[in-house]
Amino acid sequence: MNRRAFLMTATALPFSLGFASIAGAGGALALLLPPWGTLPKEMTDLYTKDTGGLLNIETLGWDEIHTKIATSMVAKKAPATGTELDWSWVGQFGAAGWYDDLTALVPPDVLKDMPTAAIFTYDGKLIGVPYNNDFRVMIYNKAHLDAAGAKVPVTMDELLTAARAVKAKGVAAYPIGLPLSASEGAATAWYLLTKAFGGDLFDKDFKPLFTTPDSAGFKAMQFEVDALKEGLIDPASTGLKDNEVQELFKAGKITFDLAGQAGILAVYTDATKSTVAADAHAALVPNVTGKSRSFGLPEAIGVPVSAENKDQIATYLAWMLKPEIMAANYKTLGVLPTRLSVLAALGKDGSLKDGEILAAQSAVAEPLFAQGTPGWYSEFSGAVQTALNAAAKGQIDVATAMKQIADAAAAAQQ
Amino acid sequence: MTFDMPKWSRRSKGFRLNKDGRLGLILALPVVLIMGGLVFGPLISSLIDSFFRIDPMKAGTPFVGLKNYVTSVTDPAVVAAWATTGVYVVLTVAIETVGGLAAALLLNRITLGRRWLLAAVVLPWCLPPVVNAIIWAWIFNPSYGLLNGLVRAVGLAQENHVWFNDRATGLVLISVVHAWRMMPLTVIILLAALQSIPKELYEASRLDGATAVQRLRQITLPLIAPGLAIALSQSTVFAINLFDEAWILNGTATDTRSITIQTYIAGFQNLKLSLGMAMSLLVMVASLAVSLVYVLRVYRETRFE
Repeated sequence: MNRRAFLMTATALPFSLGFASIAGAGGALALLLPPWGTLPKEMTDLYTKDTGGLLNIETLGWDEIHTKIATSMVAKKAPATGTELDWSWVGQFGAAGWYDDLTALVPPDVLKDMPTAAIFTYDGKLIGVPYNNDFRVMIYNKAHLDAAGAKVPVTMDELLTAARAVKAKGVAAYPIGLPLSASEGAATAWYLLTKAFGGDLFDKDFKPLFTTPDSAGFKAMQFEVDALKEGLIDPASTGLKDNEVQELFKAGKITFDLAGQAGILAVYTDATKSTVAADAHAALVPNVTGKSRSFGLPEAIGVPVSAENKDQIATYLAWMLKPEIMAANYKTLGVLPTRLSVLAALGKDGSLKDGEILAAQSAVAEPLFAQGTPGWYSEFSGAVQTALNAAAKGQIDVATAMKQIADAAAAAQQ
Repeated sequence: MTFDMPKWSRRSKGFRLNKDGRLGLILALPVVLIMGGLVFGPLISSLIDSFFRIDPMKAGTPFVGLKNYVTSVTDPAVVAAWATTGVYVVLTVAIETVGGLAAALLLNRITLGRRWLLAAVVLPWCLPPVVNAIIWAWIFNPSYGLLNGLVRAVGLAQENHVWFNDRATGLVLISVVHAWRMMPLTVIILLAALQSIPKELYEASRLDGATAVQRLRQITLPLIAPGLAIALSQSTVFAINLFDEAWILNGTATDTRSITIQTYIAGFQNLKLSLGMAMSLLVMVASLAVSLVYVLRVYRETRFE
């Protein structure tokens, strides 16, 4: 090969490879998903085998996906054919009219089998098909409790008693795992504890129910601040997100993942990913009323109105909703099935660790907002995150934090 | 060697450029297109949009006049973010200027291996801001961070400290991390200015009995003033736009939230896009105003030299 031919080949090669990759990506269904929803290669291979189609999955952090969708949709360009659609984005994105109605793509019997679909219904339109049945449950380390001679707590007082026993015996320095950073995970934990203390965030007219000291929301935040001051929660929690609390649980450094994701139990009990696989168990969220409560935080696949290749999404959704695919997703990713029949089958065949607990907690998991997630949720959640973080740092008291949240909610609703 | 200045030549049909003029136009065209398309176009578009309510969750885009600008300077959260940004500007500009000048003076004196030292000094500037912040987040980690290890090793504390639980400490640490990344630029600018000072001036001042401090005040600082103005301008502009370090090290916590983080939250989390545009335009105005002060000050001091 002479010099000229070599230079021409070298110049042409990147272009030819570029065109080849563009051509390859063009036939694939583009999906934008968070790390925990990204299918591993064995699942994408299975999709190709089952349907003959290809998947082109872009993985981004949960927060970044929200930003990417917002910026893309304002520019009238969809970031992918199918995107992550979190329960907390339904109000915003529904009001903006950014997502297609997918009702026609889900058979009525499947829709009936999937109660979380109601959370993704905005203005009568199903704007997301749920794939992750996240709800909150308490996850504990049985070995820690046994070593401390403590029993699995059912009430909030018993939780404190057990945590104090674990700490006193030196089993764990900070037994209760709760994120207290200015992050969505911290806000989510406070919502759960508000329900654990027997209350709700808003009334039917979206008036705050957490401003007085005898309200559940107030007690929930006071509980978090007091447990932190008492040394039952790691002081470093003011900078920890929920995924970092999960790492502490996997390392055996905490006894309770108090606001645990239901699906994460599959990871906690996987010996290749967790040092406490044999000791991780689920329990109903403690309460003060004798009735455990929780709330659902499901995630769905939505189709932006300006998306391309929409013809492929029907095939993908039909494949995703198959019972065997949902079961395989749980086993490989820890993504809890959204179809009740699949959840029950997994519990029956023993695949679902503590299946009866998860089923019982799932049965009492409510939507956080009975009226549907409002469009101003993001502003409300932002206020919760920062006020809780400031209270945990001792910069403001709980009463001030509650007032800040209530004021932010009122301002956001205007 | 002579060079023909571009000229307009008048012929029968309008103006025509000569060869050099056409070449100049062709060479300038990419810059004009890029600046026009990516800077001035969006700037004008944002300016216009900031007078309307652009919120994808609400129908229509009504004209709201100066409402977004009023919110940008009266909302307590935004005002707090402006104040926090002011603290960042003061701290980072001070650290970068003093530290950068000291490092540049040192490098100017060193002859052996200067290029390697310079390469080492520049390294933090080459790191992406997010990577830089994540490295420092590990150092400041309350559980396993290097800083707590050092503090305990020298006996200053018995227990780990959660650095970002205290606002003042958080502001200082974020400023240090930002200055660590940006100081190399100040060093390079000042080193270039220092190397342009004729050595004879220092030799003459030594013969006249000037001390090191007098040489610094009477010769070095006045002669590097233009470089110092550029360094101060870039330090200030980057400090006003501080985002990554505060975001990575302490998230959206209000005690360390900068104005750019507040702008991001308004625009991309709460989807109040025109409010975000108004806030970002005010950030730009603040950056330009501060830079203008530096440049005019230096211009006044050096125009007769």
